[in-house]
Amino acid sequence: MKQKLYSNGQVLSIVILRILTGWHLLYEGMIKVFDPGWTAAPFLNNAQGTFAALFKNIASSPLLLEIADQLNQWGLALVGLSLILGFLSRPASIGGMALLFFYYVAYPPFIGVEQGMAEGNYMIVNKNLIELFVFLLFFMFPTDRIIGLERLFYRSKNQTFTHNVKNVAAGNR
Amino acid sequence: MEEERNPNGLSRRDMLKGLITLPVLGYFANRFYVKHKSDFTQHRDRQSVFGISETTFNPVVNMAVTGERLRVGIVGYGMRGTEILRGMGYADNEWAENNMTGGKPNPVLQSFFAQDNLHIEITGVCDTFSLRAEMAQATAATKCRAGNAPQQKTPEIYPTYREMLEDNNLDAIVILTPDHWHAQIAADAALAGKHVYLEKPMCRTAEEAKMLRKIVKETGIVLQVGHQNRQQASYIKAKEIVDKNILGNISMVETFTNRNNDHGAWIRDIPGRANESNVNWKEFLGNSEWREFDPDRYFNWQKWFEYGTGPAGNQFTHEYDCVNQVLDLGIPERVTAVGSLYYFKDRRDIPDLFNAVFEYASKGLSLTYDCTLRNSKLRDKTFLGSDASMEVNVGVVVYPDRQSEKYKKYNPAEDEPLFHYHPRSNIVDATTSATSKYYHERGFGYTYHNGERIDTTYLHIKEWLQCIRNGTKPSCCVDKGFEETVTFYMSNLAYLEKRVVEWDPVRETIK
Repeated sequence: MKQKLYSNGQVLSIVILRILTGWHLLYEGMIKVFDPGWTAAPFLNNAQGTFAALFKNIASSPLLLEIADQLNQWGLALVGLSLILGFLSRPASIGGMALLFFYYVAYPPFIGVEQGMAEGNYMIVNKNLIELFVFLLFFMFPTDRIIGLERLFYRSKNQTFTHNVKNVAAGNR
Repeated sequence: MEEERNPNGLSRRDMLKGLITLPVLGYFANRFYVKHKSDFTQHRDRQSVFGISETTFNPVVNMAVTGERLRVGIVGYGMRGTEILRGMGYADNEWAENNMTGGKPNPVLQSFFAQDNLHIEITGVCDTFSLRAEMAQATAATKCRAGNAPQQKTPEIYPTYREMLEDNNLDAIVILTPDHWHAQIAADAALAGKHVYLEKPMCRTAEEAKMLRKIVKETGIVLQVGHQNRQQASYIKAKEIVDKNILGNISMVETFTNRNNDHGAWIRDIPGRANESNVNWKEFLGNSEWREFDPDRYFNWQKWFEYGTGPAGNQFTHEYDCVNQVLDLGIPERVTAVGSLYYFKDRRDIPDLFNAVFEYASKGLSLTYDCTLRNSKLRDKTFLGSDASMEVNVGVVVYPDRQSEKYKKYNPAEDEPLFHYHPRSNIVDATTSATSKYYHERGFGYTYHNGERIDTTYLHIKEWLQCIRNGTKPSCCVDKGFEETVTFYMSNLAYLEKRVVEWDPVRETIK
């Protein structure tokens, strides 16, 4: 028996959120790609909290800094693209979580840590942390095969595709 | 009923749902192109109107430390002493321990370790309070050195600076004493052929400044006045902005000191262990009027004109030197000043409210200074031009003047900057707006290079040492110190004598 995994409303809600989040990361990535002077060095050098020394070390090594710069700009852009298109967005969500984890721990909104330039007021929870968990949601509730490029690949491979609760629960989507 | 499928097994519904988000990407690409083009055009356009460079670097940061090892003596080791010694690459253990977080150096301590090895040795120290001389001695022999410099041997403690100079075991001295000793020690050192780093203000009076300038020029030693803001990247950028006439005619420059606590009013802790047996009171007094031992006068000497120079010498000199390096103002023609002692009615004789106006008739501008010790609002140095206003601190922000035609085409909002510069990102930014918190960061003592925080005192000392080795003139040389001293001294005279004080630039005398 065919059984829909999510209702239409649920799919729509998640896909809209997926596209908006993708838009945000794609723009963050592209703005850096198109800015020849951009580097993560100031961000890393001013890092606060427990891992500040680690980020400073990255900034002080030209090789590591280059890697961090490339991973940042292209990582953001590719994760964003993946989310908008609905293609490989589960692995992209892990990448997104990793990026946001670094942004979060580089400037953690903890009590007693200097907050620097924040456009709002945060205590422990900030927008980076929330977006990180939005990615967890995308990982746990994948929609690429319902609305997204992945649907084309999957359906052409598997003509009897159904959204089956059992299969998903067994990890065999 | 099964949907109709193409040979790949895809139905029309599959195609629709698979590709439905593509238009979002198309829309994104279109908007990105439009926004990027408009930002870029605006950015380039403003850059070309202003003709200013994108970035600013202080050459002292990357200046190589070369040449012979220099032997340095320290005269006076008060509060500023610990900061100066860190600038020289010597951190006391207590400070280093306080800057460890979780067993690792915090960013401030890391920044200290990242300083260059300045290739010096502290060969002698002295202070009229023997405990402080011992502290200076211990710090000089610290293991906690910047730039991987090795630990040096313990320097000698001299009873006074005179024995230190006589011993001839040094090439240069750093003078960190109360103001009333500056001129005398600097002159004696210069006559002994020693180079001098002298805390601000250079001297207390115009006569002292004249005497010291003459001796420094005759002996050819290298003297650097301790205005470390000479190393602040924002002033280098501010000078470029002024030189390119972005502000139009500058009619006024406003400077401020706002403080609102006891420390800011020069009420400092008096060490319980200080007494007549370990304080050389006679040496402290020097040529000033004889009095019985008075710990308040000794430790809080800034409160009296006999030893200090009031808000003008203590604070305005910083502001003045910042403006002087941007505008090359020199000495004003006329100065008026008012002030009073309203709030700190201890035994002091310096004012806690002080307002001075410095007239530069030949330049068509006046410089103002307002000091209150009963309010701590941050007010940036502001340059008021006919086309734009510029606020300078660690960063630089330029606001268009709404009555000026020059920047009308940008249709700027009055409270929105035309552009701003912050050394932390080191990019002149005309496209994005940052928060005011970002522009107005208080910049006492540090600047940034490539996003990295650097102690300006360290850079200032490094410049001085390299000037000694290369035989070149430092940025805050004796001529700049002369202008600084005469200018603030005129305001003190105006306040104390309740009159307009004038400067005769030909005779170099005060009328």
